[in-house]
Amino acid sequence: MSKSALQFTGLFIGMLLAQAICNRICLFGVAVPMVFIYFIIRLPMNLSVNWVICLSFFLGLGVDIFGDTQGMNALACTVLAVCRRSVFLLYFPREDDLGNPIPSIRSLGIAVYAKYMVTAVLLYCTVVFLIQAFALKHFEITLLRIISSTILTFLVLLGFDSIATTRREKRL
Amino acid sequence: MRNLLDFVIKHSSWFVFLFFAILSCRLLFNSNPYQHSIYFTSANVVCSSVYELFNNVTSYFHLRDINEDLQQRNAMLENEMVSLRNEINNYKMLLPDTNAVPEVYQHFDFVIAHVISNSVSQPYNYITINRGSDDGIRPEMGVVDQNGVVGIVNVVGRHSARIVSLLNPNLRLSCKVKNSDFFGSLVWDCESPQYAVLEELPRHVEFENGDTIITSGYSTVFPEGLIVGVIDGKMPTNDDNFYTLRIRLTTDFSRLSTVRAIKNNMKDELRELEKADFGNSNKERGKS
Repeated sequence: MSKSALQFTGLFIGMLLAQAICNRICLFGVAVPMVFIYFIIRLPMNLSVNWVICLSFFLGLGVDIFGDTQGMNALACTVLAVCRRSVFLLYFPREDDLGNPIPSIRSLGIAVYAKYMVTAVLLYCTVVFLIQAFALKHFEITLLRIISSTILTFLVLLGFDSIATTRREKRL
Repeated sequence: MRNLLDFVIKHSSWFVFLFFAILSCRLLFNSNPYQHSIYFTSANVVCSSVYELFNNVTSYFHLRDINEDLQQRNAMLENEMVSLRNEINNYKMLLPDTNAVPEVYQHFDFVIAHVISNSVSQPYNYITINRGSDDGIRPEMGVVDQNGVVGIVNVVGRHSARIVSLLNPNLRLSCKVKNSDFFGSLVWDCESPQYAVLEELPRHVEFENGDTIITSGYSTVFPEGLIVGVIDGKMPTNDDNFYTLRIRLTTDFSRLSTVRAIKNNMKDELRELEKADFGNSNKERGKS
């Protein structure tokens, strides 16, 4: 328990720093990789919702502090934390069959995990870009940013996950 | 209490979510000028539309009071107008004698009343108001509304009074064409509640359709100059010396709500004078 807590603390800090770098990336002027939500996606499913909300809020707040976007990521992360379980159950209804409570390619399979991840990323990107735009005036641009950022983030996170899985497999 | 605690514990995640969401929103709106301005603009639009809707609804509740205030103000202004008119007339009469100081007459007072019963479709129409002798209403007081003459008080109770409507053939009102001194007698012909007939107007009076008909002031009931209606056209008559005119009444009798009863403060004095005059002429007649 303490080992996984330590791992997640490391992931928390690592994701914060990674996002601080990723904040400077803006592909084609529209796509921003939101890599730090990997932490929220990877949080164990048996962890209390209250803890998930707290951790997500503080993660979002940390990203806001680095990115000077007070409250935007914090709010979006809080929303994602609340919806995370529902999104997970949408693709994996039998929670009891889950061996490892941490969502991953190995525990869920690539298809379910990819669907779970893409939905979570889409949800997060939708919320955060709608908060950023805060109006429906230039909705086309907002929609483009949501879709492109979702695709980019999903690809980056899938890459993260593949690297992590390969390393573990090698270790075994 | 236990149930409440159970409820809070059961739904604790929602409370935690609400807490962090509110905190995030607070941070968002306080620290980001763009979101802050949009939030305030949208909030103002919503608030203003809500206030407007609220105001539209509540303003109807105050219409009665506002109407009464306006009627009182109208009565005061009308009173002032009558006294100023008298003053002007006095100045006109006393123009050569500049030393004479004219007296300002305050002949008329007004009592505001609400119509509680009204009819326009009967051959003899009456109106009932919610003011009576306790409020200063007396028989033979003239009654007007904001548009013109309504009728004359007939029977007075303590808290209500009956008015003989202008739409009653028993009521004959002395009227004249505005800006002329020739008068006739206005009476309702039992046809339309919007029209009456002005009889016995001398043939040599010049007028046009649309001219205003006002009270002549040759009675203690109505002061001079109250609007009664406008000339709609001539009517056929057998008498060659007089016109009979069709008058479109300015008062909308079907929508009467607040009226004013006119109290002539000099009525008793005038009555006594008339009686004294009548007595003297009788004595003189007896002597001769």
